Amino acid sequence: MPSIILEHVTKRFDKFCAVNDLNLEINDRDFITLLGPSGCGKTTTLRMIAGLETPTTGRITIGDKVVFDSEAGVNIQPAKRDIGFLFQNYALWPHMTVYQNIAFGLENLKWKKDKIRERVVEMLKLLKIEEFEKRYPSELSGGQQQRVAIARTLATAPKVLFMDEPLSNLDAKLRGEMRTELKRLHADTDSTVVYVTHDQLEAMTLATKICLMNKGVLQQYASPLTVYNDPANLFCADFVGSPTMNLIETTATQIDDQTVKLPLFGKTLNFCSNGVKLRGEHVYVGIRPEFLRISADGALEGTAYSTLPAGMETTVKISIDGMILSSIMFGAIDYETDQTLNFDIVGDNVLLFDAESTEQIAKGYITVQE
Amino acid sequence: MKKTNFNAKKTANLLKSYFSKPSNVLLIFFAVALLLCTVYPIYALLSSSVQMDAMDSLMYNQLFGSALKKGDLSFNNYAMLLFGKYSRAYSVSFFWRPLWNSLRLSVYSSLIAVVFGGSVAWFITRSNIKCKKFISAVFVFPYIMPSWTLALVWKNVFANSQVGTGVVGMLESLTGICVPQWFVYGIFPCSIVMGLHYAPFAYILIGGILRNMEANLEEAAVILKASRFKILRRITLPIVMPALFSTVLLVFSSSMASYAVPLFIGSPGNFYVMSTMLSSLYNSSYSGQAYIMTLVLVLLGVGLLGLNQWFTGRRKSFTTVTGKSGQVSYVKLGKANWPITILMIVVLTMVAIFPIISFALESMCRIQGDYSDLTLNYWFSRTEINEYNVRVESGILFNPTIWKALWGSIKLSVVVALIVGTCGILIGYAVVHNRNSKLAHLVSNLAFFPYLVPSMAFGAIFLAVSSKLTFLRGTFSLLVIVGAIKYLPFASRSGTNSMMQLSGEIEEAAIIVNTPWIKRMTRVLFPIQKSGFISGYLLPFVSCMRELSLFILLTSSGTLITTLLSYWDERGVTQISNGINLLIIAIVLLVNFVTNKLTGASIDKGVGG
Repeated sequence: MPSIILEHVTKRFDKFCAVNDLNLEINDRDFITLLGPSGCGKTTTLRMIAGLETPTTGRITIGDKVVFDSEAGVNIQPAKRDIGFLFQNYALWPHMTVYQNIAFGLENLKWKKDKIRERVVEMLKLLKIEEFEKRYPSELSGGQQQRVAIARTLATAPKVLFMDEPLSNLDAKLRGEMRTELKRLHADTDSTVVYVTHDQLEAMTLATKICLMNKGVLQQYASPLTVYNDPANLFCADFVGSPTMNLIETTATQIDDQTVKLPLFGKTLNFCSNGVKLRGEHVYVGIRPEFLRISADGALEGTAYSTLPAGMETTVKISIDGMILSSIMFGAIDYETDQTLNFDIVGDNVLLFDAESTEQIAKGYITVQE
Repeated sequence: MKKTNFNAKKTANLLKSYFSKPSNVLLIFFAVALLLCTVYPIYALLSSSVQMDAMDSLMYNQLFGSALKKGDLSFNNYAMLLFGKYSRAYSVSFFWRPLWNSLRLSVYSSLIAVVFGGSVAWFITRSNIKCKKFISAVFVFPYIMPSWTLALVWKNVFANSQVGTGVVGMLESLTGICVPQWFVYGIFPCSIVMGLHYAPFAYILIGGILRNMEANLEEAAVILKASRFKILRRITLPIVMPALFSTVLLVFSSSMASYAVPLFIGSPGNFYVMSTMLSSLYNSSYSGQAYIMTLVLVLLGVGLLGLNQWFTGRRKSFTTVTGKSGQVSYVKLGKANWPITILMIVVLTMVAIFPIISFALESMCRIQGDYSDLTLNYWFSRTEINEYNVRVESGILFNPTIWKALWGSIKLSVVVALIVGTCGILIGYAVVHNRNSKLAHLVSNLAFFPYLVPSMAFGAIFLAVSSKLTFLRGTFSLLVIVGAIKYLPFASRSGTNSMMQLSGEIEEAAIIVNTPWIKRMTRVLFPIQKSGFISGYLLPFVSCMRELSLFILLTSSGTLITTLLSYWDERGVTQISNGINLLIIAIVLLVNFVTNKLTGASIDKGVGG
């Protein structure tokens, strides 16, 4: 069924390369998020798959149909790609009522009038917007407009759904609600979704797989938890997670093929892994905030730079050796500013990155040499 | 006692806070100023239409045996012109038929303009047609050029020995083909020429709308499998419809106002419209009837404005949210691309470039229409020329009268442009800041009103005014006032549009840091919308530079370059008139070009400091 395959897709705007040699395979019923900072090429990628943008080179297949092939000169119109597209600003037609907006796609499919009505009513019910049927988009709130846009997209029951930052114009609370509903809709409609966002939390919570991009280049394509726990490089490590991962720059010495020695925080730390091979002595150590555990008998000593209690958890910024590290603790704790804090580096999910290539070279745990 | 004191204080405070906002002060100022500039002239017009002039009373006394004196009040003018008191035929041929002609002509020419200009706008903004820069640059030429340009060219090309005065035109002398009378004079050539002249105007307006329209709205329809035609019919057109309707209306009223075109290629074929009939009535000293004609034109204008208000007010205007409109995907024309491009370029060459060449040639012909004997004498001679039909003190470039008139025109245009452009920005500011108040509606309607009054009628109105306020008669100030009011609509529209695009926060950010109002305008708002505001200055300058009918009743022939042109044209010295025409076109194009370049450059450099 409709898996989507991108092969060597490149898009250049004049000299600027928006997407560079992208290879991607999206399976049926996947919920893929294209994630990355603004200007990374994610929207361009989405629009290329949808056919709204023409790639410079490459090949795109949707299902068993090649929809674009620069070499064979194939470029199928967006209308013939059997897709749905949800725009960031909804793109609701201001001169049509909610009903007319939703019915428009069905009219184009030459449906009978009563059939259309049936389907539109079904959609209105599904998205809980029955009472707005006769209103114009300008008479609706942002969230309501969003629902109409979703109803319009879903009405024709496309097998592939493209969404371009659909929630970015909503307030935080509504965004949360819509996230839940989108995930539910994905399950209910059996469709494949490609979703563009710059919000890593959205990507983490919604996706079955994240496609992380930067400057037009694919960084990592994996499940959210893999991206979180096993980031391919410094960029992925830094981009995903909030608060962000502690990335500490240092020099490393290879002890044996399972141990690397790191001079850090005025002490000597050992990084141990099943297998580690340094490429150069210049490395970054990556530690998620939840692996910095503050405890009275911690082996490392810093001071409280500032404490940010959020109710359920507390972010503690620890100042040590001229660096500021983030630590996350459960519960509301309030440390006094500049108070001495002892902490440990726990867990076996500490990452080691090669500074030059920025790639991750090993995953392991840290011990402090006495 | 205490309570009233308190109330008075409250009122005083309210007033104080109301007037502490510059936008409110401006709004009140313009409301009063514009009311004065609209109401008084209309009063002058009305009273002139019922007051017997010397000629009027003489005629009526003869016709109807009455004993009217100059200055008496009488409705004879109305009865005679509108209701057939003298004879039915008189009313029909002097009023009703010209009215019918005006309406027909305006419908045809606005249709041609909107269809032609609109499709070019669509091709430029929405398709991948070739040579976009060339097309969009050249397409606005006809609008920049004086309105009679194309009419003169039409006449030069199609006049033939079978028609009118029997002057041989280019087509007959080259091919021997004589086109019939209706092709040379009358409603057909008038509609085409005016349609072509106003097409760039429609192009600018519609192109602006299309450019600002969110491309996503069309893309959403593409995804939902709507055909290209259906998208145009169901999405694009309805969304741009309110603006499109305004455009039609503007072109319609411009056509109603048009004087020079029907004068050149209408009147010789006995085709009279309101404006030409108006001036011929005035010239025959039936000024009372001419003022009635003016009044009818004004009423029509008001009716059109009302229609526009009703239409755009009926539905909420479609504000377009700007999202990712940078990513416009062009409709691919495929195989049709080159044929369409070439067709476009051919038409543009005929309409925009050929006239310039023809004027240049005409200004060098020793004998009119004979292109084999050319001379540059009419341009460069320092001594008197006296040959064939030409008698002139020296060549165009060394002629003090021409230089004086040119200087007069430039001075007038600069002064008018400065006043109008600044007022436009201020009105835009005041209106946008009080967007939903009735006063703001009033001001923007009043500022737009002069657009709907034909130039000829406008000139006539101020002639009536200057006959009451005699200190203004024949002065430069009168010309400035007339020009300023007449061109205010352009400027206030562009000022309002530019201000609309600025979000309130931009100014508020400056208010917070205690920036005085003048500084906010000049250092914050103006630089951001520079190009929009500058076009608010440029357009009145260009229009004023090539205006004839507005000023022709108000000044003598030597004051302005256009009136001088018409003077030479009436004397049949086409070498000089064509040369002057070329001079006007050159200046206007040059100013346009320089402003573009300068503002373009300063935008680049200005941001970095």
